[in-house]
Amino acid sequence: MISSLAAGWLRYCRQWLHSWRQASTQLQTSTTLPPAAQGEHSMQKVSNISDLRLLFHRNERPIYFISATNFNLLGIDQWVNRFKYINYIDCFDGRHPNVFVPPQLPHEEFQSIEDINNYLLQHKDVVDYVERAGGRPVAVFLMFDAETERLCQELGIEVWFPSASLRERCDNKMETVRIGNKAGVPSVPNALSKVDSYAHLRQIADAHGLGEQLVVQTAFGDSGHTTFFISSETDFDRHAEEIIQDPEVKIMKRINCRGATLEACATRSGTLVGPLLTEVVGEAELTPYRGGWCGNEIFPGAFSEEVRAKARDMAYRFGNQLMAEGYRGYFDLDFLIDKDSDEVYLGELNPRICGASPMTNHAAFAYADVPLFLFHLLEFSGIEFELDVEELNARWANPAFIDSWSQLVLKHTANNVDIITHAPATGIYRMADDGSVSYHRFDYKRQDIESENEAFFLRISGPGDYRYEGADLGILITRGRSMSDDFALNARARNWISGIKKYYAAKPIMAVHDESLPAPGAFKIL
Amino acid sequence: MRCTFEAIREDTPGARWQALFQLRWPAYQQWFLRDGYRARPSYLAGRRALRQHMPELAELYQQLCELAGGGDLEARFLSQWCPPSYITGCSQAIWLDPTGQEGPVLARNYDYAPGLLEGSWLSTRWLGRQVLVMSDCLWGALDGINEDGLAVSLSFGGRTAVGEGFGIPLVLRYLLEAASNTAEAIAILQRLPVHMTYNISLLDKHSHWATVFVAPDRPAEVVHRPAVANHQHGVEWQAHARATLSEEREWMLNQGVRKAEHADDVVRTLLRPPLFQTAYGRGYGTLYTAAYRPHTLMAELLWPDMRWPQYCLDVQEGVLNIRFDANHAS
Repeated sequence: MISSLAAGWLRYCRQWLHSWRQASTQLQTSTTLPPAAQGEHSMQKVSNISDLRLLFHRNERPIYFISATNFNLLGIDQWVNRFKYINYIDCFDGRHPNVFVPPQLPHEEFQSIEDINNYLLQHKDVVDYVERAGGRPVAVFLMFDAETERLCQELGIEVWFPSASLRERCDNKMETVRIGNKAGVPSVPNALSKVDSYAHLRQIADAHGLGEQLVVQTAFGDSGHTTFFISSETDFDRHAEEIIQDPEVKIMKRINCRGATLEACATRSGTLVGPLLTEVVGEAELTPYRGGWCGNEIFPGAFSEEVRAKARDMAYRFGNQLMAEGYRGYFDLDFLIDKDSDEVYLGELNPRICGASPMTNHAAFAYADVPLFLFHLLEFSGIEFELDVEELNARWANPAFIDSWSQLVLKHTANNVDIITHAPATGIYRMADDGSVSYHRFDYKRQDIESENEAFFLRISGPGDYRYEGADLGILITRGRSMSDDFALNARARNWISGIKKYYAAKPIMAVHDESLPAPGAFKIL
Repeated sequence: MRCTFEAIREDTPGARWQALFQLRWPAYQQWFLRDGYRARPSYLAGRRALRQHMPELAELYQQLCELAGGGDLEARFLSQWCPPSYITGCSQAIWLDPTGQEGPVLARNYDYAPGLLEGSWLSTRWLGRQVLVMSDCLWGALDGINEDGLAVSLSFGGRTAVGEGFGIPLVLRYLLEAASNTAEAIAILQRLPVHMTYNISLLDKHSHWATVFVAPDRPAEVVHRPAVANHQHGVEWQAHARATLSEEREWMLNQGVRKAEHADDVVRTLLRPPLFQTAYGRGYGTLYTAAYRPHTLMAELLWPDMRWPQYCLDVQEGVLNIRFDANHAS
């Protein structure tokens, strides 16, 4: 019999996934102080990268990244003075100087990352931490909702992101298509419509010339959880409930495509565009979910010059349109690249930082200039600025500004539940000539990896945590590639994955009841 | 069963209060978590409620949280915002001296389980006013008096309704810290949310008095009843009223107040059955009788064969052990 504690944890994990899929949020506006209110800054205007670096080097305003872990904005604390992480999970066993993890309290079952953030914001240790630091605190989040905004207002914390309500509107896949259309950024041939039945779906598809093989997406969701491949009535029946209940779904022509992602930042000087990243999807060693995101790569020759130029132009135009819609700051666009025609289509919009952000913010261009996220902070800082965005974008488009990195998200792939008794610590690991992996040193700076024989591992699940199918174990960041040219995991990556996983040990739980098992993908951190 | 009563003076929150907290916290923690951690509001919600409704206490609350170790759970308990439900017995009487020679008195019996009594008679000057209270929930009050001559006490109001509001001991503390007289105390009670139903007796040195019925689900109501027990206008929770003899006690106390020629006559009524109760094992035993005299700022704890007087502005520290059994307290 599973203990009630274990059952509660597992229930929480299941709920978490559910709401991750729903990703529904409600909302209000965030505020930005006028320049006159930025008392700490003596700088009147930012005109170039040197100004920007100086501005944040001398920043005195506490800026907090509040989230389950610090993964998404890893390393930003090295660029921004007084940038701190307030997290639920201590990936660093208390050894990261800028990570604050309050003692864990029993709490309502988390159903989303927003819930975690709202728990953190009401925790006395967090409140004390923020209030004792003084200043006029700022918070940035991966996810937040109206309650988060309310709590921040109560604590005198300014949220430096567009309002949750605006983010939700932009996150809606139908809205993304419409914004893209306005900006002249095409999506895969599609129709946006309510669907009542399979016959109705066919009727819509025929009217729009979408062909026999369709992809249907509901408004919110990620990693393939709300994307349905429909070629027959049987396929439709399998997902009919989810499709029919939505007021509007996206019906797309099915293309033979490859995914890519790109992060950008919409500012009043124009949209800054980061590099195009490949996506690692559905690798069996990494994830139990077919089609599930499990990493990214960045390297100079990842895409043809033509594809990169198209994607960059689309992101630029899309970002400028977002500004017109009222959204500003950091965002992520997924692209679908038709392998048959090399055509580039808009995929999804993530109006936020995301799992790809650590790659973008540590790419070579970030060290040559500044990480893309600093432009987001600048946009919300209230400081006047005027940047030559065209020049920056042109420079970053140069392959010399791209180096080769990859990140892999390691999930527990076996269909069992147990309790972790030993887990590899966060730090830098080394691979020997025979492919074996060993811990070398503690570190929290991924750029300290010296060669392709070293890797940075960020541990998510630690001793005492439950390990179940889909649980995030940790994130592995390496220099160089993890995939072969035909986009399968390469031998080195396989060695890293098995080498790190070997350090996990767990003890079984006795007789777990079926109803206590977590739903697929239940524990999703990123 | 024994209870230790201790008179303690500490003008500003310090080591004495901290020691009390450390002594009582394990038991309070158990009570506070009776329905699980999740049943209690967050630290931020409690702090927000205090700042909104009792702003004068907000800084003091933070000081006490620090003395309590600064933890989240301790702070949630100390906010007394939506605590676990609890009930008590208790009888209260206000007697106005018709001859003008003695001055009025607020007297009450505190009826509860001996094991759940703090027994700390706490003299403080936390916010500038000298306040003497019988402590509950570590900074709340069951009854007490302040240097302006406002005396207050509580009795359970005999209803099971629970709502969003403060635990009543903190409400009494607030009255004594923030109000100088009955009118000010009434105004506070009319705006404060309480989490259960209680009858509050108020008496000031100008002989202004009131009984205020407070509840989580209806507005505070000012009535003038010199004697109250554990129901308001009528009995709503029959089982509780029967078990605690609420109607009988109120009737007897009314008679006692009406016939009393001296304040001690009222006190004597409270020290006799059915007002003096001995169902200690069931949680309805009289643990002490208190008498407050706002004219002279005198306060007194009484038992059938013992009395312990104090003067609000000069409390003398001391300890008293009281043994309770089914027949009497001595």
